[in-house]
Amino acid sequence: MAKRTDKALDLDRRWIFLVIAILVVVLYALGIAAEMPVNQYVQSYYDTIEELDEGSIVLLSADFDPASAAELLPMYQATIYQLLKRNMRVINVATWPAAPPYTREEFEKAAPLYKKKYGVDWVELGFKPGDDVAMGQIGQSVTSAYIQDDRDGKPLADFPIFKDVGNSFEGISLLITMSAGYPGILEWIAQAGGRYDVPILAGTTAVQTPDLFAYYPTQLKGFLGAATGATMYLQLVGADVPQLEEVTITNQKRMLIQTWAHLLIIGLIIYGNVLYFVGRRREANA
Amino acid sequence: MKREIPILLVVLCGLAITWAFFSPAPMSRAVNDELLAWGTVFFSVAFLLGISNLVRISLKQISSRHPDWPYKLLLLLVLFGYLLIGAAEIHGWFGIPGGENIRRDWIYKRIFMPLQATMFSLLAFYIASAAFRAFRARSLEATLLLTAGALVMIGQVPIPSFFPFADWIGDTSVRLQGFLMAYVNAAGQKAIIMGAALGTLATGLRIVLGIERSYLSE
Repeated sequence: MAKRTDKALDLDRRWIFLVIAILVVVLYALGIAAEMPVNQYVQSYYDTIEELDEGSIVLLSADFDPASAAELLPMYQATIYQLLKRNMRVINVATWPAAPPYTREEFEKAAPLYKKKYGVDWVELGFKPGDDVAMGQIGQSVTSAYIQDDRDGKPLADFPIFKDVGNSFEGISLLITMSAGYPGILEWIAQAGGRYDVPILAGTTAVQTPDLFAYYPTQLKGFLGAATGATMYLQLVGADVPQLEEVTITNQKRMLIQTWAHLLIIGLIIYGNVLYFVGRRREANA
Repeated sequence: MKREIPILLVVLCGLAITWAFFSPAPMSRAVNDELLAWGTVFFSVAFLLGISNLVRISLKQISSRHPDWPYKLLLLLVLFGYLLIGAAEIHGWFGIPGGENIRRDWIYKRIFMPLQATMFSLLAFYIASAAFRAFRARSLEATLLLTAGALVMIGQVPIPSFFPFADWIGDTSVRLQGFLMAYVNAAGQKAIIMGAALGTLATGLRIVLGIERSYLSE
């Protein structure tokens, strides 16, 4: 019995890796999608955008890279579609160097569908180095933080969208960040929310989501937490956007995979603890 | 003077930024704008310093045939190769057409993206393995942590309908997760944020007043 418990506790971790791999591959192949009931944080995120006046200017900050794209890119895509569909004007910035290739590609896909013009309805300013300092500079004045746009390399004065933008977030109605860590939502709250009183929305990774509850609903009007939040938001926005149908279904499939992966992890924790207590009782009796 | 000048600069910059935060005067804004612009310039220069340091250390390891020298060589090849391709695309060198085709479509999309996504995905495997090995209910606190973690994990995902009492489990877990995150977690987070903010304020004051000098390696 003792040997059996020790052997079970010394289980080669590659068996666990194999079980996880099989679980994910099989469930993905089965392709069962699961709908998620929308929570208040996601609904607030969606409603805040819906309640903006048409033509409002939104600063959209891509603060992520490919490592967190599985969680954040679907939210980012859906946010772009909701903003453009509602006729918002978008200034696109990034504080992570690996984000701009995503941002430009997504805008170039979505903008023609809503007949949006570059420089009038959206503009791509690209990566700004400096973390919090860069955020402070963007907050102080977008037009002095960036000399030129990132797509065409033209001075910002050439773009009509900046005619309505002043210093200290003047003219900008909303700040949205897709945040994977540092710098991200917490730094934007400190640099922009607290200082210029601009409403902020965020999409975040699972690791960062628990940090956000302390800021909701005053400093943060709404947020999308991890793949779950992304799925809920896609269900809201994707309902009448055919271009988001595929990504919505993919995310819904991911939710069921996540269910089983979570159940497996909980099962492993229980199993590990049972073995631990059996071993402890055995030692006490010896 | 080696100590006094940096301390004086830090004190002046700290006071100027603090003044700009509270004062609406145009001059304070101008000073703040200028300092923030310098900050981002210094940040960019730090990239160059980082690269030169990386090159220096890598070359040293390659020349001394350190066990990792092939990786260091690869690192330098990728670093300078990417720079060269970028410059070639911008200036049209070697007959490479302008644009971002090689950097964006080949290097970024087909190499960098899958590699980084793969590295991050490996976390799922390590978390599962760590859950089995490390999460033990050794004390009351550990047991509470484990239970809260399990409840949050279940509340975060849909419960398949063929599960017995699926609706009840789903509703209850979502409600419990919501309570844990919005009250227990948020209360703890707020306490930590306030504590950290006070600590940051105290440290900032010590730096601005020239008491804290650890940034000078003292």
